[in-house]
Amino acid sequence: MDYGDAEMTGERLGQVRFFEFLTEEEREEFAEDSVIVSFEAGDEIIEEGGGAHGLFVLTSGRVEVRKRVPGGDRLLAEMDAPAVVGERGLLGESGASATVRAESRVEAIKISRETFGRMVSEGRPAAFKLSYRIARTLARRLTRLDEEVVEAIRELERRGETDLEAFRDRLVTDWAV
Amino acid sequence: MQGPPSLGDVPFFRHLDDEELEELEELLEPATFEAGETIFDEGGPEERLYVITSGTVEVHKKVLPGRRQLLATMEAPTVVGEMGLLTEPRATASVEATTRVEAHGIDRDRFLEKLDDDSPAACKLVHEIGRTLADRMARTDESVADIIDRLERTGETTDFEVFQDRLIREWSF
Repeated sequence: MDYGDAEMTGERLGQVRFFEFLTEEEREEFAEDSVIVSFEAGDEIIEEGGGAHGLFVLTSGRVEVRKRVPGGDRLLAEMDAPAVVGERGLLGESGASATVRAESRVEAIKISRETFGRMVSEGRPAAFKLSYRIARTLARRLTRLDEEVVEAIRELERRGETDLEAFRDRLVTDWAV
Repeated sequence: MQGPPSLGDVPFFRHLDDEELEELEELLEPATFEAGETIFDEGGPEERLYVITSGTVEVHKKVLPGRRQLLATMEAPTVVGEMGLLTEPRATASVEATTRVEAHGIDRDRFLEKLDDDSPAACKLVHEIGRTLADRMARTDESVADIIDRLERTGETTDFEVFQDRLIREWSF
């Protein structure tokens, strides 16, 4: 990718709210090492159960998020560009817990785990700023999810679930404080 | 007597070099808790990150009215208070010392200032915290999938949709 492309990609990153916290130069740093990818309607962008994946900044199109459940799969969400998917997979070791599929033609900027890992090992501030941003997003989501899990356990108890104790123990372990 | 383990022995700090560890050591305030003493009280302030260098703590939460659920037992070397650092400085669970606990406190505001100044040491620590959160998020996602399944099977589907919507809104992948 030549410099002109990186500048353009950097500009496109800047249009996504998730990347607003980076300076123009930092966005271009990411842009230089990222690739532009496109998907046709029906293509899988992130696959549930697949290995840890990179981050995709969707610049055009629409995606759906689906999760396998007993007896089929469930639509979790539909998202329109500009949006970011895969931030958890960029930072963590775990694979995706849901599938992201293109519903229309989708264009995206991909930041791979390899690229991100290299930027981290080089100690580049832009990479750590992205880490901080993702960590904060995840921490806020976790806090809200934890509260919802507690609420759901209370609801199940209210409905007279009998084997709730073991279930509850499994759900609420691994709490972060 | 053997001295307390250094920061470098604590998993969150393992990728920091000596210079970076020194930078964070300036922020450390020694703290000691006796067995039974509360470190964080659920719903109360969480304005410090504690790097626990010796002892054991328990994490409890009031999940059902009148009952405290044990969420985790954590042994040194470990860190508590990292969620308060990244979200609101309010404890979502209680942390109590079950033995005598030796720790280093790091003031939340002073740490956030370092982070705002792009201190590499602070950035690396947050990067490590983020990595553990990402993996914890993956496990929470699976718990949530279980709950949705369980709620559906209990039959009463009328208010289920509301739950489902709230649960999946925070899904991440």
